[in-house]
Amino acid sequence: MRSNRSAPILLMFVILMFTLPLKVSAGEKLTIYTVNYPLTYFAERIGGDHVKVILPAPADVDPAFWEPDDDIVRQYQKADLIILNGAGYAKWTRKVSLPMLRMVDTSRAFKDDLVHIQTNVTHSHGPGGDHSHGGTAFTTWLDFSQATMQAEAIYRALVRKLPAQKQIFSENFEELRGDLQELDKQLAAIGERLARVPFFASHPIYQYLARRYNMNIKMMMWEPNEDPDDNEWQHLQEISQEHTARWMIWEGEPLSVSMEKLKNMGINSIVYAPCMNRPENGDFLSVMQANIQNLRKAYQ
Amino acid sequence: MMDSLYLAWRYLVYNKKKTFILVCCITIIAALPLALEVLLNESERQLALRAKSSPLLIGAKGSALDLVMNSLYFGDEVPETITMAATDQVMDTGLAAPIPLYVRFKSRGFPIVGTTLDYFDFRSLELAQGDMFTMLGQCIIGAEVARELALKPGDFVVSSPETLFDIAGVYPLKMKITGVLAPSHNADDLAVFADIQTAWVIQGLGHGHKDVTRTTDSSVILKKEESNVTANAKLMQYTEITKDNIDSFHLHGDAINFPLTAVLALPYDEKAGTILQGRYLEKEMPYQIVRPKEVIDTLMANIFKIRNVLDAVILFVGSATLLALVLVFSLSLRLREREIDVIFKLGCSRATIVKLLGAELFIIILISAGVCAGLLAFVHYYDQSLVRSLFI
Repeated sequence: MRSNRSAPILLMFVILMFTLPLKVSAGEKLTIYTVNYPLTYFAERIGGDHVKVILPAPADVDPAFWEPDDDIVRQYQKADLIILNGAGYAKWTRKVSLPMLRMVDTSRAFKDDLVHIQTNVTHSHGPGGDHSHGGTAFTTWLDFSQATMQAEAIYRALVRKLPAQKQIFSENFEELRGDLQELDKQLAAIGERLARVPFFASHPIYQYLARRYNMNIKMMMWEPNEDPDDNEWQHLQEISQEHTARWMIWEGEPLSVSMEKLKNMGINSIVYAPCMNRPENGDFLSVMQANIQNLRKAYQ
Repeated sequence: MMDSLYLAWRYLVYNKKKTFILVCCITIIAALPLALEVLLNESERQLALRAKSSPLLIGAKGSALDLVMNSLYFGDEVPETITMAATDQVMDTGLAAPIPLYVRFKSRGFPIVGTTLDYFDFRSLELAQGDMFTMLGQCIIGAEVARELALKPGDFVVSSPETLFDIAGVYPLKMKITGVLAPSHNADDLAVFADIQTAWVIQGLGHGHKDVTRTTDSSVILKKEESNVTANAKLMQYTEITKDNIDSFHLHGDAINFPLTAVLALPYDEKAGTILQGRYLEKEMPYQIVRPKEVIDTLMANIFKIRNVLDAVILFVGSATLLALVLVFSLSLRLREREIDVIFKLGCSRATIVKLLGAELFIIILISAGVCAGLLAFVHYYDQSLVRSLFI
């Protein structure tokens, strides 16, 4: 009688012994911290259910210039992987201590092809500026061939961490690669159509876009949510004598007063969002597709 | 038997000085070689364990022993430096994970180990108090450092200047302690750990100061051009990195050329380790790669030879001491001839007299054994710290 009662319990125990480890490993998720939204998107696409990707920068802050506090740095320190953009992005990473072996510099594969920006002041004992784009251009993902290489770096890092999931990561990466290559193809076609048509850009973040897709862009230091002062408008007037651009590329929706003033100068506005942080609507892919659509206006 | 023991005990108590000397001599003869054996075994264990757990070490060509002693045990001899490029080189092979080390500076006699956070994962070091350092200019300390200097998280340590008369040298760096490691009973207990970049700041390869392009103090400016500002030596450099001035800290030059004393290479598997070693055997390679275990095994073999000599010396000295003791005992018997004669005339048989003398010897040996055991227990209990302070 006793053996009859204990048999089901024993059977349940044996089943649990075999299934529990599976449940634990199936639930095992890598914690990944990133420094910008494009990398977050790539990691989420490739990692799928096996990763938990975190971009701690607040949604209303430019992650390139955001600085985390000690608690957040400690969260980065405990992450399974820290995905970095490289190219000098997120300068705070150079002043904190992060585990080198868990860091992935996604632009390492093309570090020799990075665009270096000449600044007005060189350094013997100190350049300065509250906000400087001096050094290296860091919006590497705007060149979709580079974006693909960055995604590949993430893929390789994930496979190293979870080799058992290589098949899934590979399928996901191929899908993402396909999407990025499609974007690359579309922009290449636009670049050909535009054939060195001059553009202005509100902010010096389009170096890789210009290089890859053969676009002729002169960049200002404007913010979309600020009306440039008289000196800046004057400067634009002077440049436009030689650089006869009819389009200004903005990183975000500009003020209507700025658009109006530009229109009076014969310059139209289009938005090409770099998507550094998580968009309010959509995702990286939809934002880039919208950017491409906006760029098409230049020749339609 | 008890009667003999009682009489022997009373005799020994009455002749305290003689008993004490005899006990000391026998204790020393017995304890010395055994204690030495314990300490040497412990030092061998500590050295071997640490070496075994460190797969490969890359450094400048030269003394492999100096490289291993500096990198694993934070010894005083600083080997020739290599550059951070060696770390990248290992990373690029895809065969091993590199951990850079820069062990050159000291703080109040304790070595400052500049490294990355991976070191603590690799050595399985846990924090007993506080948190890991998060920014440049912070550090964590080993358990022994905290105990000897009575330091805790929130306190500060200052890097020591390398020479007293270095007028053109760098300022010492004041580092905030953010955490204290749990005891690990090895060289990590006696070190101050900081980020590798902090070590470079200590060297003077990085520093912080006021923004010279905006300063109103013209006396610090040597030359001002449209595209460049040169400051003079009057420009004060910060001696502590804080949240307020960290933005001004910068490294001069490319970090890839900055110095390291070694790179710990952790191969992904045995085959990768062998391939990696093979790559560093080429003559053109500016670095050497060593297996710390092999270096330490060679060192142990040499120490073993010395130990044999020590054992022989102790044996010789011990034998001489034993002979001296035998002489003392026999002389003592001669001096007690009248006493033994009285005991005999009182009716004790020769066997009883032998038992009495034997009981004295037995008690002396028993006491010596007890003291010896106590000494050995003490040595065994403190063997790790004794080895660290005496040998390593």
